[in-house]
Amino acid sequence: MNDRETRYSTWIIVLALVSMAAVVAIAWGEVAGQRLVAGGAVGVILLAYSFILLFLRKGGFTGV
Amino acid sequence: MYSRLLARLLDWTLRLDVAINRVYPEDFNPLYYTGGLANLFLTVLVLSGIFLFLYYIPSFDDAYRSVQFITVDVPYGQIIRGIHRYAADGFMIAVLLHFFRNWFTDRFRFSRDEPWISGMMLLLFAGFLGVTGYVLVWDERGQLLVAMTGRTLGAVPWFGAWLQTQWQGSAGISNLLLPRMLYLHVGPAVMLYILLWWHYVRIRHPKVWPPAVWTLFSLGLIFLLTGLVPATSQPAARPETVPTTLAVDWLFLLPYVGLKVLSPLALIALAVVITVYGLYIPYQLPETPAALGLRDSGIAQVVDANCTGCELCYYDCPYNAIVMVPSPHPGVTKAAQARKLFAIVLESRCVECGICIGACPFEALELPRFLERDVQEKVVQACRS
Amino acid sequence: MPELERPAAAPAPGTGRGPKIVGFLCDFAVDVSAIAAPDGTMRDVPNVTLIKVPCSGFIRPAWLEFALRNGAQGTFVCGCPLGDCFNRFGNNLIGDRVTQLRRRFERQKIHPDRIAAIYFGLHDQEAFVGAVKAFSDHVAELPGPVVPAPRPTAARPAGGRATGGAGQATPPADTPSAPGSAGQTAQEEP
Repeated sequence: MNDRETRYSTWIIVLALVSMAAVVAIAWGEVAGQRLVAGGAVGVILLAYSFILLFLRKGGFTGV
Repeated sequence: MYSRLLARLLDWTLRLDVAINRVYPEDFNPLYYTGGLANLFLTVLVLSGIFLFLYYIPSFDDAYRSVQFITVDVPYGQIIRGIHRYAADGFMIAVLLHFFRNWFTDRFRFSRDEPWISGMMLLLFAGFLGVTGYVLVWDERGQLLVAMTGRTLGAVPWFGAWLQTQWQGSAGISNLLLPRMLYLHVGPAVMLYILLWWHYVRIRHPKVWPPAVWTLFSLGLIFLLTGLVPATSQPAARPETVPTTLAVDWLFLLPYVGLKVLSPLALIALAVVITVYGLYIPYQLPETPAALGLRDSGIAQVVDANCTGCELCYYDCPYNAIVMVPSPHPGVTKAAQARKLFAIVLESRCVECGICIGACPFEALELPRFLERDVQEKVVQACRS
Repeated sequence: MPELERPAAAPAPGTGRGPKIVGFLCDFAVDVSAIAAPDGTMRDVPNVTLIKVPCSGFIRPAWLEFALRNGAQGTFVCGCPLGDCFNRFGNNLIGDRVTQLRRRFERQKIHPDRIAAIYFGLHDQEAFVGAVKAFSDHVAELPGPVVPAPRPTAARPAGGRATGGAGQATPPADTPSAPGSAGQTAQEEP
């Protein structure tokens, strides 16, 4: 893997972990009645996914 | 001077593109999908709006309470309410980006004027929707907006009083106000889709959705903002007093800020001038490409003898300027003799781009002042030099 | 893959500067007023001549082949950046057509790298010149004649003149033009 791929795949893994943490936050928010936290965490997941897609493309893993 | 200013704005717009394209791959540049982003936000608005509509009660006593009910008691009600508010802001931002980008890159000239005109109307309706939406909450801001709008409309000469009555639902502020506001919110929302149909008539394959990266980003941002800065109401409206300070949403309520310095009539006059100018923009400079010093190739012409009715030009024309009709008579070439369909160019829609010429495999389309013969001559000349 | 019939293409006659390249440039893509002469010759890559067209989507694939059969050793189309075509998707269309034409060229034993579709915006002069230079250098290294010699047919036997007219196999003038027949017409010029 060249340097570009390494850089971007590190970020992708970080974002994937952030997304998993956000899933936990959603579940916690629902259980604890803090629905604003749950909603915000949904936002975090979607934002993280958008950057994962972008980095997949910039790292050369997907795309034309 | 106007053309020089436009040329400068075009320059800056495209330099912004260069900067963005360093970060994002070209097919992810959000400025290439401003219309799609607006449509995305509009879809979110409609879906969240239907949800809110199911719980909202348009009466003086119950409106504020029903909104509080949605916010506090309905599961995820506050999230949906926040999404509705932030999607509205996002919608306005996307629409303004779309407006400025298409203005500065000259994408409204000549036959491209109808999407511009329908777009201006979409912008006006969208702004109006934002105002009535804030009123529906019937908090202090809503009450003040009704008063300010009523006073401004009332200042119009001759039929100001009638306008104010239409706005309020009755001569004074009565219980007819909020049902009228709800109608003035949902009705224009439906009208947006009718105007969008008109907006797309001259556009083939409109880009109605942004790429996935931006769909996820926009939705994620809305949800995140909802969690961080929840949508709340101002204090409830009280009929005895009219509040004096307005909590401003700069995207929708900017004209109301204008009332601080302008008289109502002056504000109306300014709004009318801006609107009329906006509708006039496509016609401001000379109407013909030749007068503007642009290439003037002439409207695309179908060569009857060769057209086989294959429909390739029809599918490729970006402006829906080609229609296929049942062939009135056979063509001359062997393939054209067997044709069932025949291509017709709608002159009012043709922008002379020549894309149909590139699409046609049968040499059945030509630009009258840039024929295939001319292209071949230039090629031969280029090869000789 | 096209056979290697002779070493790398010699420079176009009279220039000695590199292969003759014809480029089609759309009105709204890169602004070349500072980097090209009025007749289309590029200042930094003088073996390239630019022809301006209303939109990159205006180009018929047949014209790219026409250029190759009439003295050009390479030809390209330059449109606006993908996603920002002034006419919405002309550049996407020419991109698709060039891809298809490259495949057809492979079947006809014309090297597909002799044509290209590139995309540059108003202020991308440097990147444009770089891409054109790279294209020109690549074309200079391609083997073989630009277009293969026509196969012998009954009308045009190998090493002989065409036989007299009646009833022979030249295609009638009114068939729909496909790249092959356009080429044959061009080839009959002296």
